[in-house]
Amino acid sequence: MANPSLEVKGINVSYGDIQALWDVSLNVEEGAIVALVGANGAGKTTLLKAISGLVRVQKGEILLSGKSINNLSPQQIVDRGVIHVPEGRRLFSTLTVMENLKLGAYIPRARAQYAQSLERVFGLFPVLKNRKEQKAGSLSGGEQQMLAIGRALMAQPKILMMDEPSLGLSPILVRTIFQLIATLNEQKTTILLVEQNVYQALKIAQQAYVLKTGKIVMCGQCEILLADEEIRKAYIGERGSKRS
Amino acid sequence: MSEWAIISQLTINSILFGSMYGIAAIGLSLIFGTMRIIFLAQGTVIIFFAYICYWLLTLLGIDPYLSILLVVPLAAAIGVGFYYGIFKEAAVLEDRNISLLIAVGLMYLMENLMMVVWKPDPRAVVTAYTSWVFRPFGTTIQFTRLMALVLAIAAAIVVFIFLKRTLMGTAVRAATEDPVSTKLMGINPNLVNAIAFAIGVGLAGTAGVGVATVYSFDPVFGFMFTLKALISLALGGIGNVWGALMGGIVLGFIESFSSYYIGGGWVDAISFGIFLLVISFMPQGLFGARGSMKKHKVKR
Amino acid sequence: MKNNGVSEQPDVKNPPISFLKPLSRIGITSRRSLIYFGIGAIVLILFATVPFYLDVDNNYLGYYLFIVFDYIIIAQGWNLIAGYAGQISMGGNAFFGLGAYTTGIIWLRNITHTGYYFDPLVMLLSGVLPIVLAIIIGIPLLSRLRGDYFAFGTLGAGQILTVFAIKFRHITGGADGLHLPASVYTSMEPYYWVSLLMATFATAFVYFIMRSRLGLALKAIREDETSAASHGVHVLRYKIIAFAGSAFLAGLAGNLFAYYLFLVNPAAEMNLNWIIYPILMVVLGGTGTIFGPVLGAFFVGALFAYGSIYLKSTHPILTGALIILVMKFMPGGLMGLKDQIFARRKQT
Repeated sequence: MANPSLEVKGINVSYGDIQALWDVSLNVEEGAIVALVGANGAGKTTLLKAISGLVRVQKGEILLSGKSINNLSPQQIVDRGVIHVPEGRRLFSTLTVMENLKLGAYIPRARAQYAQSLERVFGLFPVLKNRKEQKAGSLSGGEQQMLAIGRALMAQPKILMMDEPSLGLSPILVRTIFQLIATLNEQKTTILLVEQNVYQALKIAQQAYVLKTGKIVMCGQCEILLADEEIRKAYIGERGSKRS
Repeated sequence: MSEWAIISQLTINSILFGSMYGIAAIGLSLIFGTMRIIFLAQGTVIIFFAYICYWLLTLLGIDPYLSILLVVPLAAAIGVGFYYGIFKEAAVLEDRNISLLIAVGLMYLMENLMMVVWKPDPRAVVTAYTSWVFRPFGTTIQFTRLMALVLAIAAAIVVFIFLKRTLMGTAVRAATEDPVSTKLMGINPNLVNAIAFAIGVGLAGTAGVGVATVYSFDPVFGFMFTLKALISLALGGIGNVWGALMGGIVLGFIESFSSYYIGGGWVDAISFGIFLLVISFMPQGLFGARGSMKKHKVKR
Repeated sequence: MKNNGVSEQPDVKNPPISFLKPLSRIGITSRRSLIYFGIGAIVLILFATVPFYLDVDNNYLGYYLFIVFDYIIIAQGWNLIAGYAGQISMGGNAFFGLGAYTTGIIWLRNITHTGYYFDPLVMLLSGVLPIVLAIIIGIPLLSRLRGDYFAFGTLGAGQILTVFAIKFRHITGGADGLHLPASVYTSMEPYYWVSLLMATFATAFVYFIMRSRLGLALKAIREDETSAASHGVHVLRYKIIAFAGSAFLAGLAGNLFAYYLFLVNPAAEMNLNWIIYPILMVVLGGTGTIFGPVLGAFFVGALFAYGSIYLKSTHPILTGALIILVMKFMPGGLMGLKDQIFARRKQT
């Protein structure tokens, strides 16, 4: 196995008295797409938040290229190139598209590459260029998702963590988003993808982890998982049809 | 005086009075917007700077309007001190009581400090121009009141430009809407909060100079001023610099007109009554573009 | 055994001593709660016996304790609406004042033709009228306003009522207020007993409410209003009940204070201190705990008493500084501190 870019080793996370993650481990290799799937409330978002520094890790370690990053501040983690696109997009709806993008490139490291990043984002999402002075809240669902991803790209991510990017989108848009994710990966972006749309996620990723009530219950190569009976029954449905 | 003359005089008074409330409200809005802290000490802090202005004049002969160059930076620095010194931890707690009480404690502290150190007798700044009066079209405008309005507008413009045109200002606006996402941009929340406090208290410094030149003030004056600023904020809506200023002016109107037509003692009841109506039925304020205090649940 | 909303995990299968089982009815279900009750009972008895060995008339302690007990009553009221139900109210001074004014007006106008001085009917009415007021302003405020906005709404309502108290002088005596016949005063003793009784009543009142279904509903509302509503909790009704409960206690406290001061006017009974001090006491002692307000009242009372004697002019400054320091370093209050100490013990 190549050197994992991101290693999560046996972390515990609790919200007050309630433990959300139990001894969770996860590896993301450089250049890969890793999917993290599981039911609602399984703890997927919590895991991302632990990596991006929004919640404290009580036990265990998170390593980025071998160096520990657990319990660093979110700013430090962004600085190291781990970018979290949160669930529900969480754009600054009262700010314009341009302002959202500008904030995406806030850290000095990204600000230096501002022009190039902007060109790349507008290249990937021409619709954003057309709407650049519009308030983010006035965009459609699909456009907002694009802006969320674009904003993350402005930070020059080494690892991009996406939390349910297909949520609330029409099937066509879902396809577009997943194509985009594949494109980004082709452009050498490492991706950790949290999804409820298990079928699509497993199709696009190389490796996947299944999280259930705070514990990793399964992990492996995606072709194998896709064929697995339990997974199909639990998350995909008998005929393996798309769940949007 | 003809009816028209009365109304125009009242209107002028409203705008002049109200602008002071407006500046205080802008400061409150920023601090509340970024940290959900109700800075109840704002009025008392304004009075504190009114005293500073007074003493700069009395002891060092510095003209009040010039003293702004000293007072505002001092105020901004003190604001940052307030944040890092006493509000930083409370800003992230779920329990809003804590920050409220800290603000109350600060208010008590400053109010009584001023009473002990500077005696509770009212002070007023008196210079060559404090008695200047213009009389356009049969109305009376005091020079210092007009200058206070100018200060208010200038301050609002500065804050507006900062918020809209600078990266840091944009970050502050973002933090007002979503503190968590702001962190994910790599923006240091402490920096944003400290800036909010710096501006908030800096504005208090500006208002202090305005108040010093217009009113005779004493340490206890502050709390009522804070309440008026709160009402202005509710009227104007959060997250909007001009809204807060206009909210203050609207309150100025309410006070001037009700004072004249209904009589002195009822003014507060009317102000609070309208306040209650607005927050009940128009929580986004009269001018709020979007977002109200009601919707601003802390997104954690 | 039914567990009616006691917050801690009770050791129901093994009550401490079997013949004390009936005590589980009032909430003693574990060793810990037995200890609390025990301490509470001992403290109560101690206080009850004070006037027997101390001359409360001439001793500052008598005055101090009376004021502390009065504050406990209003503090428990605030604890109920803000600590347990989670709705921060800043209008308590209005209910306190209304209680005082009710006392004054009934007395001076000879309305009920009863004794008036420490008269149970007057005291009851002083608690009941604020309930009516609480319902009248509670319905619009609680149905429309949440969180900070509700706090401001109550603040505004309180200020409006203060203006009314000044303006409607033929009823309230205006800014000067109502002067009650001080000649009926004989000694501090009845004040001491009655206030101790009322403070105990207030604490028990809040305690039993919190143990009931209502209490469970209030806690649910405090934690997550939407979720509570979707579980069939009638949110508005319960909020109003809690608000009315806090008004009731505040009114009773106001009545006692009126008896003490023999003067009822806005400056004395409706000033903002009656909002701030109870909040300070509850938060200092521990919001949403049953003993928090009690501890807080004693502590703050002692602070003020000490300060006004020894540090006359500067003590408010120190009070301000103290509030800041405590809130910064001990936001859980004294009860929170106790929890921290016990938690540490458990770990080692």
